[in-house]
Amino acid sequence: MKMESIDTAMVLNRILTSGIVMSIEKNDKELPGLERLLSKHTSRSEVVLLNSRTAAVHAALAGLGKGHGENALCPELDEELRAFVTWLGITPDEAGEEETPGFDLVTVTPEHASERIAEAGRSTAAAVVLDLTPLGFGPAGAVVTDLRRVRDRAERLKIFGAFDLRTMWTQRESEPDLVPGVQFNYRLSPLVAGCVRMALMQALSADKASRTSGTGVNS
Amino acid sequence: MITDFPEAPLPLLDGTETTAELAEFGGDPVIPKGLRRTVFPVITKEDTFHMLRSQRSSPEKVVEEFAERYRSYVGAHSALPVASGTASLHMALVGAGVMPGDEVIVPAFTFIATAQAVVAAKAVPVFVDIDPHTYCMAPERAEAAITERTKAIMPVHVHGLPADVPALRGVCERNGTVLVEDASHAHSAGIGDSMCGSLGTAAGQSLMADKNFPLGGEGGIAFFSSDEAHQRAVSCLARNGIDYRMSWIVASFGTSQLQRLGYYDAIRARNAAELSRALDETGLFTPPYVPEGYTHSYNMYRIGLRPEAVGLEDLPVWKVKEAVHELLVAEGVPAREWQNTPIPCHLPFTHRHGFGNGYPFTLNPEAARDHTPQDFPVVRAMLESTLVLCRELRSPVEHERLQRYAAAFRKIAKRPDAIRTLVNERNYPRPPHQEAARLG
Ligand SMILES: Cc1ncc(COP(=O)(O)O)c(C=O)c1O
Repeated sequence: MKMESIDTAMVLNRILTSGIVMSIEKNDKELPGLERLLSKHTSRSEVVLLNSRTAAVHAALAGLGKGHGENALCPELDEELRAFVTWLGITPDEAGEEETPGFDLVTVTPEHASERIAEAGRSTAAAVVLDLTPLGFGPAGAVVTDLRRVRDRAERLKIFGAFDLRTMWTQRESEPDLVPGVQFNYRLSPLVAGCVRMALMQALSADKASRTSGTGVNS
Repeated sequence: MITDFPEAPLPLLDGTETTAELAEFGGDPVIPKGLRRTVFPVITKEDTFHMLRSQRSSPEKVVEEFAERYRSYVGAHSALPVASGTASLHMALVGAGVMPGDEVIVPAFTFIATAQAVVAAKAVPVFVDIDPHTYCMAPERAEAAITERTKAIMPVHVHGLPADVPALRGVCERNGTVLVEDASHAHSAGIGDSMCGSLGTAAGQSLMADKNFPLGGEGGIAFFSSDEAHQRAVSCLARNGIDYRMSWIVASFGTSQLQRLGYYDAIRARNAAELSRALDETGLFTPPYVPEGYTHSYNMYRIGLRPEAVGLEDLPVWKVKEAVHELLVAEGVPAREWQNTPIPCHLPFTHRHGFGNGYPFTLNPEAARDHTPQDFPVVRAMLESTLVLCRELRSPVEHERLQRYAAAFRKIAKRPDAIRTLVNERNYPRPPHQEAARLG
């Protein structure tokens, strides 16, 4: 299902008028809100939000400790992602039948949002990359994982990423050993995050309603 | 419902503000608590209405419309809208022809993203010191750092003051290198009739929320002076599958905000000029330096200290700065440090892992150097003797607020005794560059 324009408009208006729209703003509630939603519905304790699917693949690889000159066991990648991983200097090895890739890749479409999120929840990979771009609010992605280490490394790939409400004031790096070399501005806009969250919430609740009433909605 | 509307107007000055006891010692603060919030950007019905309209358009068109309008405003040949300033700098460098292993000269005083964009382009940043007056890259330091492998010089128009582009162009011409601007602080700034973003072979500019021209949270734009440069950047993205696209939501907000940019700029320029006049009269404080013919956009407003003007020359200047900082904050003027150490002293440039296993630094080991703050004496001296106003002066603040900022500086400049007391009592432990590196 696709989010109604009026709902998008409501979300955007609400966020625009909430004060300063900034991803590194300590009072921002949109990014943590989306993180919580993804965490709950994928049953993963850690979520890293990113501003595109390539950023999310990069964050997953960095989270797993993979860097230039190394090989990584990857899920099936399309041509673009294969080119991107190669650009990072990492050789993508496709996982065989018996192997589990380092990360899984799940594309979240408006038509099947809730099934795809559930699918991510079932993955056995150490990290799952969610491509949230098809939801229609611009490039967006996430990495979900249960491994704190993966999250900590992935967050640090984003400039300013590792700081939260508590640590923003001093910006003291708690884990200097995890600070990567190259860093990108892979931060997601709170406006985009707010819309993604609303779209997912609607899809998940419609799906729940259809399951209780026994009728399919996402057809 | 949260409102941007102030709870009450700031009272007009009654003349007693500058003679009252300092807030640090129990007096009334010049800017009363509860009246310290500044709002920026201002959200108007045009923003929300334009956002509604954008929903009815294709995302590509919304982004394209924004990029074209802003390109035309800047006067650049072509533009590439992207997801962030860092991405825009990466694309500007690629467009300018920077190749893996090349050296790119950058100032040691900037935001870390300037240097990280060089690494993203798989090149090696070579850091040089700044000019003591403009705080921008010193052209003679840049020229001295040129080697066979230097491909580009990337000055930053720090805080919104254009770097010495005429001199830097000369350096480029003499040495066969190209000029790439980091115009992230310099929206609407320029030299003569030319605007930052249109001064080099290519430019990158951040449009994130802390900038003078903020889009919806995060964004950036690269500018190019030729179709070839533009094409190099576009094909790099396509060839390598990199998704740097700007969201339509972000772009839509940019298009509606662009109409108000001129207003914001005018108020900011007027406010900065008035504050500068006031600081000039204090003796202790010095305003930002602006060369003739240059337009400063004051994304940040850096204030210098002259302890010798008020009999405090025996104290280390960084301790005077710490004391003044405390006094200002107590008066309700949220002055800050922005950067506390040269960029090459940040972790990513001390360990230089790059993309992993040291790449791309391994391509050019001679250019990858270890540095200490002592290697950049001008940056260090500036960090020890200056403070910055950011959002508080970036916003189109009301005139009575500006007058109160000025009053707070006057009030403090009259009290060298209080500064001395604080320095003696507080025992400030160490100068800024000895603290762990902070991003901003
Ligand atoms: C001088 C400078 N260059 C580059 C950037 C990077 O821009 P962004 O944060 O949009 O990636 C910033 C600011 O954030 C900056 O201040």
